[in-house]
Amino acid sequence: MTDALIALVALPLTAALLALLLPRIATALVIFSGLAITASAIALLYGVNTAGALHYELGGWTAGLGIALRADGLSAILLLMIALVMFAASVYASAYFGKASERAQFWPLWLLLWTALNALLLSGDLFNLYVTLELLGLSAVALAALSGKHAAVQAALRYLLVGLLGSMLFLVGVALLYAGYATLDLATLTQVVKPGPIAWSALTLMTLGLLLKTALFPLHFWLPPAHGSAPAPVSAVLSALVVKAAFYLVLRLWLDVFADIVTPTAANLLGVLGAGAVLWGSWQALRAERLKLLAAYSTVAQLGYLFLFFPLLLALPPGPARDVATGGLVMLALTHGFAKAGLFLAIGIVQQRSGHDNIQELGGMVQRLPLTTFAIALAGVALIGLPPSGTFLGKWQLISAAIATGQWLWVAVTAIGSLLAAAYIFRILGHAFGNQPYPHQAVAVAREEWPALLLTLTATLVLGLAGAHVWTLLENGS
Amino acid sequence: MNATMLLIFDALLLASIIGLAWAALASADARRSVILFIAFGLLLAVAWGRLLAPDVALAEAAIGAGLTGALLLAALQWQPRKTADTTNSEQPTHTLLETGFRWLVTLLCAALAGMLAWSLTQIDAGTAKDALANAVAANIDASGVSNPVTAVLLNFRAYDTLLELAVLLTAVLGIFALGPAQAGYRIAGPVFTSLTRWLTPLLILTAGYLLWVGAHAPGGAFQAGATLAAAGVVLRLAGRDQIGLPRGNALRIALGAGVGMFLLVGLALFALGRPFLGYPPAWAGALILLIETAAMLAIAATLVSAFIGGQPTEEKTRC
Repeated sequence: MTDALIALVALPLTAALLALLLPRIATALVIFSGLAITASAIALLYGVNTAGALHYELGGWTAGLGIALRADGLSAILLLMIALVMFAASVYASAYFGKASERAQFWPLWLLLWTALNALLLSGDLFNLYVTLELLGLSAVALAALSGKHAAVQAALRYLLVGLLGSMLFLVGVALLYAGYATLDLATLTQVVKPGPIAWSALTLMTLGLLLKTALFPLHFWLPPAHGSAPAPVSAVLSALVVKAAFYLVLRLWLDVFADIVTPTAANLLGVLGAGAVLWGSWQALRAERLKLLAAYSTVAQLGYLFLFFPLLLALPPGPARDVATGGLVMLALTHGFAKAGLFLAIGIVQQRSGHDNIQELGGMVQRLPLTTFAIALAGVALIGLPPSGTFLGKWQLISAAIATGQWLWVAVTAIGSLLAAAYIFRILGHAFGNQPYPHQAVAVAREEWPALLLTLTATLVLGLAGAHVWTLLENGS
Repeated sequence: MNATMLLIFDALLLASIIGLAWAALASADARRSVILFIAFGLLLAVAWGRLLAPDVALAEAAIGAGLTGALLLAALQWQPRKTADTTNSEQPTHTLLETGFRWLVTLLCAALAGMLAWSLTQIDAGTAKDALANAVAANIDASGVSNPVTAVLLNFRAYDTLLELAVLLTAVLGIFALGPAQAGYRIAGPVFTSLTRWLTPLLILTAGYLLWVGAHAPGGAFQAGATLAAAGVVLRLAGRDQIGLPRGNALRIALGAGVGMFLLVGLALFALGRPFLGYPPAWAGALILLIETAAMLAIAATLVSAFIGGQPTEEKTRC
């Protein structure tokens, strides 16, 4: 089973090198390795579900001297989401990039991003996490700048600087922990870390760095231009996966490694920022004039919901009640991943066929692009949180936990956020279903439409109806 | 007496480092900032030497001060030079909200700095030094090299180095995606040309030496790669179009060589039933040298490509 741990990092990295050396067969290579990576992710999930958390000592050196790879239920589920979203976006990208020269530049960076995502989720070592964050940040920036347009390069440069600042803050935290506790291994650190200035400072610095990378309000300023001007498949994975990788690390640090250090007050602060993100992000999404900016601001808002869970989880005693709420959090993250990736892919189709993505001028879109419009509507169902989407289950847990712990403020924020989401989704659909003639010739390409549709279907139907398995997996894999 | 002299030296060194850092940040002219930054990097290398970390000192001098400085100067070369007047006239006016926000951020930074200072007083300097240093010392015989830094970078924590080489590859591919290389500089005069004639082989020789010596003394792939890249930089500055950088497919192979060799060795061992990147002790020294040689070439190709600012054009444009 531990072979899957190695495969998840080695496969995309090997494929990246081969795609660099053999650009002619790169597309086939990406599809083939994508299937192999997805199979490895399924194998890992199966292994974690049957045998519990897995770990692997690289080079045969014990953790502490060497580096350990680890996977538990949480990381295994997220790895499968990454594999499915990346695979769908790869199929989409093979049609999206028309020129061979574009694809030759795109595939190696794309596979390096995949490597970084997998390596980050599997890493059990603080310094190694820093390296994976750098790899993730740089590959994301390079992909965001790929179109070469002035706006894209400018947004990517800002993204780069913010990302570097985030990594530096994280690294200072790592150095502090190493100086204080003489270990970089997460499992060892979990056992020895004690409340005190070292742990507090390190957690503050690392969290601050990661909040920059995950774009939590008010540190979200870089996200809308970067996600809004990248090529469609890149926007999809930046919004669905890259910001979530940083969020995963915050979750890991707060609930696992520093579980004895964090205080309800600090968690409340995260909750307040999350509430700000939900309200501000949804409001900006409602006001956005371009589809891609709408989707990007919606990401800011949806990330806010994830942070609302922190004060709730800290208020619940460790045990079944907290596990159920954690499951709701994971469910929200998963659904948003699938739905937002699908939404960005669908918007990419609209943008390519119409030559623009101004919401006002998309009247009658449904006549020419029925499947794409359907995918956007399905993504909308998941973003609002209507049943049977996974978001519905997640928000249900969020509200239940808020009522159980008497934190009514978060219920109000969730309600307002959902209403605003409904408003911005129906604003798109209102235009799309208009009866004015749609002026553009729109030829549907199956390789573009189906990935978008399948991703949004996963978010609305699969996750919603098979949701109970997520909770079981988290329990078995701990 | 000797201790007092060293104390005075350290105090001067620290004051100069802080002074240079401040001057580099405060300077209105970007070119001036870069030159101050290079001087800052050199003094930082001396500080690492004083901390008895010669490996870090070498890396800081070669990469931190040397090549980063060259990269920054090259980047400035392609920017229109800003005069002091334009920077002053662009001074924006701040609203009350912005001023308040600035103060808030300043206060938060100050609080964070205070907390950091407090944590530093709590650190027991012995803990970190002993725990891992003892573990490294206990296993160094099985690592295939006798330089503990190389043992950590290429054996105990080889996975980190593999991913770091992937970071370098990503960076250079990102640079390539932004456009072709910039045109070269004008051809150097006779004095500089003759200087490059003996500087270039010397740099290549030094790179080879650093690579070889890394097994038992300070040195290794990163320092060697940076030195080798310096040879390319010197040739480029002398106006040469041929700077030892391969073109087309050969360039892609060179850039991917570090990651490729690492993966090849790691996966081959894995296929033979050993742990991923787990070298057999008898072969460790040879395998590490093999990986480091490939890594040196990749690092040098990456840095030179970054210096010229893009993918070199396939056909020769100038002689």
